[in-house]
Amino acid sequence: MTLTINNLKKKSKDEIAQMLGLTDDLPPSKEAALERLAELGIPTKKSEEYRYFDVESLLDKSYEVHLHVPKEPKIGEKIVIENGVIIEVPKGMRVYYDQCDALDLTHYDPIYYLSHLLAPHVIKIDLDGDAEVELVHRYTHSGALLPYRIVLFNQENRHATVYETFETEEISESLILYGYDMHIAKDSTLRLIKTQSMDENRYAMISSNRIKVNDHANAIIKTFDLGGDHALQLLKVDLGTYSHIDAGHLLYLNHQAKRGTVSKINHIGEHSTSQQEAKNILDGNARGIFDALIKVEHSAKWTKAHQNSKAILLHEDAYMAAKPQLEIYIDELEASHGATTGQLDRKQIFYLQSRGISYVEARKMLVIAFANTLIETVKDTRHQERIQKAFEKAFYAGHKELKR
Amino acid sequence: MSNNKNEKVLEIKDVHAKIGNKEILKGLSLDLEPGKVHAIMGPNGAGKSTLSKTIVGHYDVEMSGGDIIYKGKSIKDWEPEERALEGIFLSFQHPVEIPGVNNAYFLRTAVNAKRKHEGKEELNAAEFLREMKKYLELLGMKSDMISRSLNEGFSGGEKKRNEILQMMMLEPDVIILDEIDSGLDIDALRAVSEGINRMKDGKRSFLVITHYSRILDYIEPDYIHVLKDGKVIKTAGPELVAQLEEHGYDAIEE
Amino acid sequence: MAQEEIDKAVSGEYTLGFEIDVETDVVPPGLNDDVIRFISKKKEEPEWMTELRLKAYHKWLKMEEPHWAHLHYDPIDYNSISYYAAPKTGGPESLDEVDPKILAAYEKLGISLEEQKQLAGVKVAVDAVVDSVSVKTTYQEELQKHGVIFCSISEAIRDYPELIQKYMFSVVPMTDNFFAALNSAVFTDGTFVYIPKGVRCPMELSTYFRINALNTGQFERTLIVADEGSYVSYNEGCSAPMRDENQLHAAVVELVAMKDAEIKYSTIQNWYPGDENGKGGIYNFVTKRGLCKGDNSKISWTQVETGSAITWKYPSCILKGDNSVGEFYSVAVTTLAQQADTGTKMIHLGKNTSSTIISKGISAMKGQNTYRGLVKVGANADGARNYSECDSLLIGDQCGAHTFPYLESKDTKGQIEHEATTSKISDEQLFYLRQRCINEEDAVSMIVHGFCKEVFSQLPMEYAVEAKALLELTLEGSVG
Repeated sequence: MTLTINNLKKKSKDEIAQMLGLTDDLPPSKEAALERLAELGIPTKKSEEYRYFDVESLLDKSYEVHLHVPKEPKIGEKIVIENGVIIEVPKGMRVYYDQCDALDLTHYDPIYYLSHLLAPHVIKIDLDGDAEVELVHRYTHSGALLPYRIVLFNQENRHATVYETFETEEISESLILYGYDMHIAKDSTLRLIKTQSMDENRYAMISSNRIKVNDHANAIIKTFDLGGDHALQLLKVDLGTYSHIDAGHLLYLNHQAKRGTVSKINHIGEHSTSQQEAKNILDGNARGIFDALIKVEHSAKWTKAHQNSKAILLHEDAYMAAKPQLEIYIDELEASHGATTGQLDRKQIFYLQSRGISYVEARKMLVIAFANTLIETVKDTRHQERIQKAFEKAFYAGHKELKR
Repeated sequence: MSNNKNEKVLEIKDVHAKIGNKEILKGLSLDLEPGKVHAIMGPNGAGKSTLSKTIVGHYDVEMSGGDIIYKGKSIKDWEPEERALEGIFLSFQHPVEIPGVNNAYFLRTAVNAKRKHEGKEELNAAEFLREMKKYLELLGMKSDMISRSLNEGFSGGEKKRNEILQMMMLEPDVIILDEIDSGLDIDALRAVSEGINRMKDGKRSFLVITHYSRILDYIEPDYIHVLKDGKVIKTAGPELVAQLEEHGYDAIEE
Repeated sequence: MAQEEIDKAVSGEYTLGFEIDVETDVVPPGLNDDVIRFISKKKEEPEWMTELRLKAYHKWLKMEEPHWAHLHYDPIDYNSISYYAAPKTGGPESLDEVDPKILAAYEKLGISLEEQKQLAGVKVAVDAVVDSVSVKTTYQEELQKHGVIFCSISEAIRDYPELIQKYMFSVVPMTDNFFAALNSAVFTDGTFVYIPKGVRCPMELSTYFRINALNTGQFERTLIVADEGSYVSYNEGCSAPMRDENQLHAAVVELVAMKDAEIKYSTIQNWYPGDENGKGGIYNFVTKRGLCKGDNSKISWTQVETGSAITWKYPSCILKGDNSVGEFYSVAVTTLAQQADTGTKMIHLGKNTSSTIISKGISAMKGQNTYRGLVKVGANADGARNYSECDSLLIGDQCGAHTFPYLESKDTKGQIEHEATTSKISDEQLFYLRQRCINEEDAVSMIVHGFCKEVFSQLPMEYAVEAKALLELTLEGSVG
């Protein structure tokens, strides 16, 4: 089946169901998703969440909807998901297909619902104990629309870590709609370290996530988005009593990239805390997006919320759109945000050059120094080095082309 | 007020007080005599700061028993500003910063509130500034203190000097000094104690709360009260200081 | 000095909520071509103006009311509003002809229209607007000696058509937004100011707006042009009687600053805010924009917003000239059930342009206060700099404070900095002041003034006093 998502614009619930080939007797969760999608409508450039992301041109294209056929995964070291199909699973790990039974019915992003509707099932990952797991996504189809969803559970009182990376073959013009429904159990910690290096013109991605942080739980979400192309990650985080989220987003973009984070962190429980930091380095014609809302509900007394975005523009055509937002309904709290946009300090570059370091290396040193505060939050040195390498690769790719 | 030996300006009578759910003062009694310097000493956690908070009516403290009699009247249900207007002054251990509120404007408002309360003519801006400058000089404070925001960005020493400045200009009858010497270098300590000693006029009473005896080298006390576990366990003359220095609080018997 | 005002303020009610008892000419509610022709005719406008109004009206009909702001209100029925109301006595030739009731009303508002009664040493020229008509402009003669034009916009359309045709709609185009389009069609009065080359306007200029008639909207339009090397400081104030119904105010202000010119525009907005249940009050939908057209020009907006049930207002600067400067200083107070969505736009187009945004939001009772601001740095704006500071103060746990900055930068040699904090009046601060003999209410107002100080210091002296008193009045009873 081929699909142009923009054709779903301004259609009724029934029309959307028909166009997506959904049968009459839908499970309740899909029925609800359909309703929400019809209510929110397909995103346009006027949608506040997609304001800075060129969503219309992506949704205007016609794609071959890629239907994933489950097959028996082999036992390996990592979880590997190829084109939405589980092909490798570590021994003893529970990774399986299931129906999605717990949808968030208050998500702001229509693509969250669309991806749930298009995905025939969800991939459930139950993290046992203090698991540390690598998750690899791989894409091999051109011109494809690939919708899939992951539902992630961890256990109470446990500390689990997921390292997520993305691989691709020489494909082009694909659109990936994917994302997590994360349920972080009481008194547990879940760390998600995502690194996504993208080359120009391979695939675009809209990743729409829901993160529920239960009472006394910690969520640590660090994303490292490097290179080119179009990708937007949308996060909705709900914080319970005494829960905490520490979110960090590094963007290093070049070429014609349009990438970034749209997030809404809802403080619902008392004494919940959030810390969000974005560092954006933009080269070439790239556009970086940081559109982040912290909302403190009336119930969330004694909340602490801090948010910060810093951007460095390396090229005269680079562009940063920062929208740090606070929406606050109580007075017993501590909240602040800040955002700056600037460039590398000429004096610093000159100082390094005067010590015999080339212009490109001097820039690299300063840019990495800027990025390092985020990279260093990845405690595991092996993964830290991996991210640093990916970062350097993206840096040189940008600088080769610019012939500086 | 005559300097009658039996006269008391402030009587703390069997006071019980809680902070949160924790009882800190457990039947504390203490009398202040006019014109005298009373020093309260005691180990950490004895209830020294709670005592000062209780006298000035701090919002943290809930009095669950006893009474506080000031100039013959019970003040335990009075608002904080009523106690202040009647002449009770607390020099805070950690004075709070209030951004944007001009130091001179604040102090003039305070001084005039008190003058009005006493039926005196209020000071106009020029009169007030003349007075303020006099005291600034006396305390070795820079004249930019007039235009800066209240305590904002002040060093530890500047904050304490500013407390003493306020004390001198408000001319209170009972002065409570809560750890006035903490965080002061020797010059600041000297300036602060000079300010305090200048306030001694034979009528004013002082309650000097301190953990160390250092400040008592500069302000000579008439009485030493040892506070322990929410009660005054010993009252004696200044000779007790040396004894405490040598043997510590544990050696004091009730 | 300010004590008298402060004492007056402590009465705690909306003291400006009286009604002027004069007969008014009112058109029946509703809007169509005929109503627009009627307004234009009443104003004795030339044909070209009538045509422009009709053009704006037809475009407006095709536009939709915007709803992206953080505001909740019942739909506005544009056909239940009367678009023209005028005190029957009409335009006066001298002060003697002004209805004594209007004069008395202005006295009550604390504004003297008698030139000799002005504060000693401080001359303030006033244009007083009641409902749709300018009733009196003072000091016109003295201003004319300097070549300064200060008159109602209706007079300007008749007397200075070249200036109006050149500059009106040049900063806020007719169809800029829904409310601006409506204003373009039905604007009734307002003020026009022109400062010639090299002239420093010798006195503060001021307009006082008052909505008086029932069920009317107020749609004034202000245009200020500062020619090369000139300077002007302009102030506007507003009030309205207490009414149970909501009244619409949709004004447009356009400022043009030529090379080396400076315009300082201050507003003290005190429209009736409605009651604590959100009943009544003014819906304030205002488009204000300044164009720094020439190099080294400067436009500075200062606003103290205490009134209105709904405020939708973003005084903006387009920094087109190289080295031009835009400033926005704002105090917005929402108490009772007031809602404000206000902020600014700073559009950097020229080289080395700079902008400063200082926004202080105070929310109390059920008030919802939103800062929304855009800082946009264009690709050619080399060396553009912006500094924004948005602080919120919350009093009580039923109110809300929201900060929505949009920072869009395309320049590699500039700097954008945005900071925001949210705080409450701490118990510790209150106690400290009370221990120093200051009662609780005075202590709160002292802390609030401290919070707003950076903005108040931008206002001309007399207005700073008024703003302080107004703030106290507004927050009266909301602390406890």
